[in-house]
Amino acid sequence: MERNTRLELFKEIAAEVVERDFSKIEEATPISELGIDSLGMLEIVGEMERRLKIRLPDEALAGVETVQNLLDVVEKRQQMAN
Amino acid sequence: MSASRPFAPTLTRALEALQGESRHGFTFVRADGEERWFSFGELVGLGARRAAALRARGVAKGDRVALVVPEGEEFVLSFIGAVMAGAIPVPMYPAVSFRNLHVYHDTVTHIAGAAGAKLMVTTASSREFVAPAAPRIPSLTGLVTVDDLAGDHGSLIEHAQPGDTAFLQFTSGSTSRPKGVVVTHDNLRANTEAFVKEGLAVDIDVDKGVSWLPMFHDMGLIGFVIGPLFGSVDVVFLPTASFVRRPGVWLEALSRHKGTITYAPNFAFQLVAKRVKERDLAELDLSPLRATGSGAEPINAKTLRDFADKLAPAGFDRRSFLASYGMAEATLAISFVPRGAGLTADAVDPKALEQGKASPASAEGGREIVSCGRSFAGHEVAIVDERGARLGEREVGEIVVKGPSVCAGYYGEPELTAGAIRDGWLHTGDLGYVAGGEIYVCGRLKDLIIIRGRNFYPSDIEWAVGDLPGVRRGNVVAFSVDAGGEEQLVVCVEGTRADAQSIREAAAKVVNDDFALNVREVVVIPLGTLPRTSSGKPQRRKTKQMYVDGAFDGALEQAASPSAQEGATEGA
Repeated sequence: MERNTRLELFKEIAAEVVERDFSKIEEATPISELGIDSLGMLEIVGEMERRLKIRLPDEALAGVETVQNLLDVVEKRQQMAN
Repeated sequence: MSASRPFAPTLTRALEALQGESRHGFTFVRADGEERWFSFGELVGLGARRAAALRARGVAKGDRVALVVPEGEEFVLSFIGAVMAGAIPVPMYPAVSFRNLHVYHDTVTHIAGAAGAKLMVTTASSREFVAPAAPRIPSLTGLVTVDDLAGDHGSLIEHAQPGDTAFLQFTSGSTSRPKGVVVTHDNLRANTEAFVKEGLAVDIDVDKGVSWLPMFHDMGLIGFVIGPLFGSVDVVFLPTASFVRRPGVWLEALSRHKGTITYAPNFAFQLVAKRVKERDLAELDLSPLRATGSGAEPINAKTLRDFADKLAPAGFDRRSFLASYGMAEATLAISFVPRGAGLTADAVDPKALEQGKASPASAEGGREIVSCGRSFAGHEVAIVDERGARLGEREVGEIVVKGPSVCAGYYGEPELTAGAIRDGWLHTGDLGYVAGGEIYVCGRLKDLIIIRGRNFYPSDIEWAVGDLPGVRRGNVVAFSVDAGGEEQLVVCVEGTRADAQSIREAAAKVVNDDFALNVREVVVIPLGTLPRTSSGKPQRRKTKQMYVDGAFDGALEQAASPSAQEGATEGA
């Protein structure tokens, strides 16, 4: 899966969960600037887990500060799953 | 068999009585889905071993032991182990993904410090998140993981007296001055007996609880761990994070285990109604569910109806809804609606309500308030005015509670305790009224902000925003508004038009950084616009009313000269 596709998937899920437009965000955008609370972020994580059939354990999410950090964790978990 | 015999006088006696219990117990579901069942006899045996290990670590009777243990089975074993060692456990919330770690360290430091914790027990995975706080807690002599407590030191049950403190429930209070409710063994006996036997009329041969509620919180801990230990009731526990990530796991566990009793705060019902898909319901059978409790947050009737509509295809019976009212200072539960009654709501005239009268609405457009039922035997609920005088039927005032469930007070805070509990009456800080003997909760006297199950003190948020450039402390007011059945945060800030856009962005960011909370709107208003008391303190309620009435709309633009550059749009 391409990096870009993961970002698009994130935007799509975020828009669905928070019901707001996220088309303009970039990989470098800090999570704290998305205007999504921690429960909302976990909802997004859960939806990514479901669609990509991976698990993103809490330990792996520690230290995630930007969208890119999160997508890196997703990429790593996808590689582990293959 | 119904849980009809009297409950043991203390939690330690209740645990002792479970030693031979091999038919009933707790099931723990892990994040990966693996399930593990322990009979109560096994749990108590393991707990006694943990008690001895804690004693070997120097934990003496009455010592406070902070618990930062996110995994269900390890939490339960550490909690009962500390109680059996005669110590006082202090459950604390674990670090959560996407929240600021510095703020978390501060919270850990303040809570463990206020409790005077001697030892902190955590897990291998949580250790790195709490370790930086440990050196800042003066009373702390050690930080250990549950693995460190695995060695063989024998078994121990140190029996408590009913009046002894069983644990400290840190649940409210601002970040810098957390409040720990002192819960005694007798409080636990009285309250669990009330809700297990009278409220739920549990039949231990039929009933099974299912809970994803966090165990560091009263509803998860007393409702699903301690109550079931006193009553020997089967419970299945799911990790909280699993539910938030995929709300369907709650329904799947209920279906798979034929769960009959479950509980959640309002936001969780909303999450299910929104996120669970029809196709996910096909395989589920929720018909055994007979008590679907809602508590800990204002109950929204529409949210519960949406939930029931969504789950009807899975056999969900809306008569199982059990609205209830309670708070940590009253151990847990204060009132329950009768079993099987479902949801009863009162439609009141909103104008009359502002005047303190809950008059039934004459036509459409009334405000819907859910009945939280009646108080328990041996307990009393009354409504009083500001001077403490009793109010009558349908008159709105502060809800006060008396009885054996009212806790001993706040740990190490005699003044706060004296303010909250007067002549045996707990002043809840909630506004409500009584109609036909049933309790209706309609607001809060305190300005506490509750968003998605989390409590925030406005002052904490106001201070964080008040530190921003272009903003002065004391010129910020934070409050929540109801937006489509969900509470959302609004921050009003006095500032200049030139700074407005940077204030809006910086305020939203600092609130998200420090509290992992999303702001619905940051409203920048001209200096001198916030309503204030005679001593110059901003008035939160009045500010909120002005915001709701639209009094701040365009205020900044009108204050600036008409020829100024293009007007910035409020909010977004």
